[in-house]
Amino acid sequence: MNHEALRLFQAVRLKGRALPVDLAAAAGLPLAVAGPLLDDLSASGHVVEARERIKLTPEGRAALEELLAAERAGVDGAALTAGYHEFDAHNDALKGLMTRWQLKDESTPNDHTDPAYDQAVVADLVVLDEGFVPLLARFVALAPRLGHYPARFAHALEQIAAGDHTWFARPLADSYHTVWFELHEDLIGLAGLTRADEAAAGRAL
Amino acid sequence: MNAPTLASSVVALAGGGSHTREEIGGKAWSIQQMLGLGIPVPPAFVVTTDVCRDYHRAGRVLDEKVWQQVVAAIAGIEAAVGRTFGGEQPLLVSVRSGASNSMPGMMDTVLNLGMNAAIEERLAVETGSPAYAADTRHRFEEQFAKVVGTTAPQDPWEQLRLAVCAVLDSWFSKRAVAYRAARDIPDTGGTAVTVQAMVFGNLDDESGTGVLFSRDPLTGSPEVYGEWLARGQGEDVVSGRSDALPLDALAAAQPDVHAQLMAATATLEAEGRDVMDIEFTVQSGTLWLLQSRPAKRSPEAAVRSAVHLAEAGIITRAEALERIRPEDVSALLRPHLAAADLLASPAVAVGKPACPGIATGVLVTDADEAEDRADNGEDVILARPTTDPDDVAGMAASVAVLTEIGGSTSHAAVVCRELALPCVVGTGADTLMGLAGQVVTVDATNGTVHLGVLRVEPPATSDDPVLATLRAWRDEEETA
Repeated sequence: MNHEALRLFQAVRLKGRALPVDLAAAAGLPLAVAGPLLDDLSASGHVVEARERIKLTPEGRAALEELLAAERAGVDGAALTAGYHEFDAHNDALKGLMTRWQLKDESTPNDHTDPAYDQAVVADLVVLDEGFVPLLARFVALAPRLGHYPARFAHALEQIAAGDHTWFARPLADSYHTVWFELHEDLIGLAGLTRADEAAAGRAL
Repeated sequence: MNAPTLASSVVALAGGGSHTREEIGGKAWSIQQMLGLGIPVPPAFVVTTDVCRDYHRAGRVLDEKVWQQVVAAIAGIEAAVGRTFGGEQPLLVSVRSGASNSMPGMMDTVLNLGMNAAIEERLAVETGSPAYAADTRHRFEEQFAKVVGTTAPQDPWEQLRLAVCAVLDSWFSKRAVAYRAARDIPDTGGTAVTVQAMVFGNLDDESGTGVLFSRDPLTGSPEVYGEWLARGQGEDVVSGRSDALPLDALAAAQPDVHAQLMAATATLEAEGRDVMDIEFTVQSGTLWLLQSRPAKRSPEAAVRSAVHLAEAGIITRAEALERIRPEDVSALLRPHLAAADLLASPAVAVGKPACPGIATGVLVTDADEAEDRADNGEDVILARPTTDPDDVAGMAASVAVLTEIGGSTSHAAVVCRELALPCVVGTGADTLMGLAGQVVTVDATNGTVHLGVLRVEPPATSDDPVLATLRAWRDEEETA
């Protein structure tokens, strides 16, 4: 399976249940390309459609896991694991930003009525993103399937900078947080780890 | 060199007593204080700390004259409760250690001492409950063997002597010695031995046992709130047997006892200067108080009772303001779970609140299943060990989200705050998965999970008289 098809297959898994148009966007593909690929997955019994949304079948989940295991076997594991440990510090910083975005302090939600407060958090996200770009490029070099991530982050950041703050952390949309969450899941998989183990180790919380 | 005056070796506890903690240990001292307030406490005597020193000096030998005083003191208890140690109507006692300050490594309590096969039979006839008598004997023999370190002999007097010596020996147990050494407490203090009559709530129709709070621990309203179980033993009420009745049942059956109990409650509340949690037993029409301690209470009761106690002059206004925690007041001003329901269904899992709110639904541990059931119109609460990106759609379909592992910056917390979904994170490994399929209520404001459907109380209004009083006092304090 080529990178594009595997990106789409993994997007079906990461989105849980999503519309074909959103899956195409998440995989960085035009719908004209993604549509036939989804039809193939459907024909082989790997995905099903329920109320216009696509989800994995148990067979599809198993097939995807095999494909990802094959991909993992072809990746420089030592370099990826080293990169993953560098990612940890960026991850902590991102989580801190998300929390600042949502909460002014432990019991005070940010109601987004203070533009100066929000702007400071956005400015810090821009700085974080700049600092993260080189590491992300290394990940893409190690695992070319991740090639669609830089554009996804850039898109979310553009929307935020243009004033649409829903792109900061909104679930079920390709917000910065959603893309980060999915990348983290991909890195855990490529490093041969599980989220449960990572969470227990305090890294994927 | 003077021989120690044996008159002070064994002391019957009484209200006028002025013995110090150093002489008689903390447990006996608190019994003496209660008796001093006119509170009816089961009769007791204490072997003083002097005896402990002499006993060890003599190479762990109990002076025969001291033993004779113990025997005489038992006779005093027999006369007070109208029962006989080892006799036809058997007296059973508890034996406890007691240094001036409580100390780990000292011997624990032995309850129901004075029990053997023959006594079990007599007690079975007297209470009409062979099962109770057998259970009491079984529990006594198990506890005696564990605590005293030898099988209980059949002779009650031999049981008592062994238990008294075991308490005295425990002063020099490895743990007690190490505890004192670590804190520079000298070895010279010694432990006392407190011997107290066991009272029976299941002797006859004039007997029973109960628990009460000097004020309602759920609402804080100033009425005594409690339960009474005729022909019950202490454990029956504490463990929540379903046939317990309100205290009115005791008032109807034994008005004098009820009046005495109310008087004792008022005394203990004034003395403790707080809402008290009191355990009592009535044996053949005689009231005995077993325990009194400050009561655990709901946030609402904490606020209201502090104001009421100050209004009644039991504590000062300043103390009331100091006792009321801001979070108790905040809890009152938010929708909150009904206190009575919380009491009936305490938390089965506790974690960190990540996004506030209250929700009830069926607990589901798989995101796909959560979506399917939500599509069918069910209220679903998604519980996961930790959340993956593919759980997000399932989270969005749920009325609340729970995770076993994770903190307040976890992905689950971020996602739930965006969706304004009640969320509790980090309840601990293997705390949620076993609840799959059960209907639960989540209080994500406090981080608790409860089985079943709990009612939600509306927030207290700003014209609530207690809150108005509280504001007035605060203003006074600030302008003072």
